[in-house]
Amino acid sequence: MSETPRDWILVTGGSRGIGRAIVEAIATPQRHLVLTYLRGREAAEQLVDTLRAADCSAEALGFDVGDSSECAQATEQLRTRLGAPYGIVNNAGVHRDGLMVWMKPDDWRDVLRTNLDSFFYVTQPFLKGMLANRRGRIINITSTAGQVGNAGQVNYAASKAGLIGATRALAKEVAPRGITVNAVAPGFVDTDMTADLPADRLKSMIPAGRFGQAREVAAVVSFLLTEGAGYVTGQVIGVNGGLA
Amino acid sequence: MQLTLEEIQSTVDKIMVEEFEVDPERLRPDAQLVADLDLDSLDGVDLVVALEKTFSCRIPEQEARGIRTLGDIYARVEAGLHGAPEPS
Repeated sequence: MSETPRDWILVTGGSRGIGRAIVEAIATPQRHLVLTYLRGREAAEQLVDTLRAADCSAEALGFDVGDSSECAQATEQLRTRLGAPYGIVNNAGVHRDGLMVWMKPDDWRDVLRTNLDSFFYVTQPFLKGMLANRRGRIINITSTAGQVGNAGQVNYAASKAGLIGATRALAKEVAPRGITVNAVAPGFVDTDMTADLPADRLKSMIPAGRFGQAREVAAVVSFLLTEGAGYVTGQVIGVNGGLA
Repeated sequence: MQLTLEEIQSTVDKIMVEEFEVDPERLRPDAQLVADLDLDSLDGVDLVVALEKTFSCRIPEQEARGIRTLGDIYARVEAGLHGAPEPS
């Protein structure tokens, strides 16, 4: 006997950093969460255990969001089992920083593949179902680098700017069916990704005088997922301490 | 599912009237979905979803793109249900 479909939300790269904070912020007993990971299997499974202990419904799924065939397989099994999601948070991302003059083609491709191609590979298979449901939320985690650029991050900035363009265009396509598409653009946030940066020098450039916390990004994502945020679409919401 | 062409036509016509509020008088096999029946591109997605659900069949994206007229829908559904050659 099949169960009544219930709302579920997909969060890519949900095992650590900002993705983990998003998962922690939006977990409730009322909806199911699917978080994806690539290398952080142990962290992902621990997080799922923690959520389940708090009566929240969650599962972890390991696949490479930048690989079209892995995504096709994963999204097909999710679609068969759970139907179309209420929300998709495209959060998974990598960086391979360095001046473009020294950048290897693989550094360019890997970053574009994981940060931008993944948006298409993960979101497209669910769109038809979401359109049929006439409601939904798509949130793309981009970056201040995608808004204003950042030396040493030409590949990363290009991928994140691409996500912003995709966000704005898809928002226009699906707005008539009650689906919102927004981007959240964190600045410098305390995560593994920023651990090696010269924090003191950077903080002097940030009006708020500090790095952000992952939970401060998660709070915005959490809001955008609510029914109350239904008239917010095609927007890029900066969470950057006034940096941009 | 064994349906005659007439049954397929009347079921499709019912979808057009009930889901897309098309005037029944305009339902002719040569009616263009966009030009004559005022469906837009998102309606096209809804139409495919409705047809797949109603007739328990799958309409691949490439075939969906080839559907232009009401007659194309009848033919596609009939081909899918009866295993006849699919319209090009």
